[in-house]
Amino acid sequence: MLFRSEEEIEIWRQNESRVKGAVLSLNQVWALSRRWYGDRLAASFRGRTAAGAIQIFQSLGLRDSFWTAPPN
Amino acid sequence: MTPTETDWRIRHFIYADWLRSGGAPKASAIAAEFGLSRRDAGGALKRLHEAHALVLEADGGEILMANPLSAVPTDYCVTFDGLSLYANCAWDSLGIPAMLGGDARIEARHPLDGEVMPYAIVGGELQGSGLVHFARAFRHWYDDIVDT
Repeated sequence: MLFRSEEEIEIWRQNESRVKGAVLSLNQVWALSRRWYGDRLAASFRGRTAAGAIQIFQSLGLRDSFWTAPPN
Repeated sequence: MTPTETDWRIRHFIYADWLRSGGAPKASAIAAEFGLSRRDAGGALKRLHEAHALVLEADGGEILMANPLSAVPTDYCVTFDGLSLYANCAWDSLGIPAMLGGDARIEARHPLDGEVMPYAIVGGELQGSGLVHFARAFRHWYDDIVDT
């Protein structure tokens, strides 16, 4: 979800009783989008492995466990 | 079950058709395009769903999402080359121009006050600002992809 400020995220979290996730700037999300979706229309696209996804996150500096702990 | 090569060709068709028409193709149209029975087309879509290559509606056989595209209206409307498309989330709203490789205008509805927040991709650069909250850690994305 897109917000204007950290304060708005806190209000939304409290309203919805949600735990805090990760917060990225819209510019960071644009960088992530280019890596994540740039090959989506290629006929050779066969999905993305967890390891491949984590590699993309790490290349963008997203190195904490929110991004790098693999699914079970 | 792992998708077959035909399943992946179906997936490619889904995106191409969606980007021509502005909406997700129905399972019956996919069956007709590939000369399959409705049941076999449904099986292909189910395998693609299980491989996280698309998301089916909870009650069955039609497409809900082919990320970054949403088959139902959302708070993220993307205009690309005269085509209006819905994205699944803030990330996916930027995923559409990233996927298509061109300029796009985006209107996001603010989750608290409903105000429209416009931003755009122009010449590969973001115009606009904001903060995106990711509710679920990567390891939980596919526990409930709609909520993610």
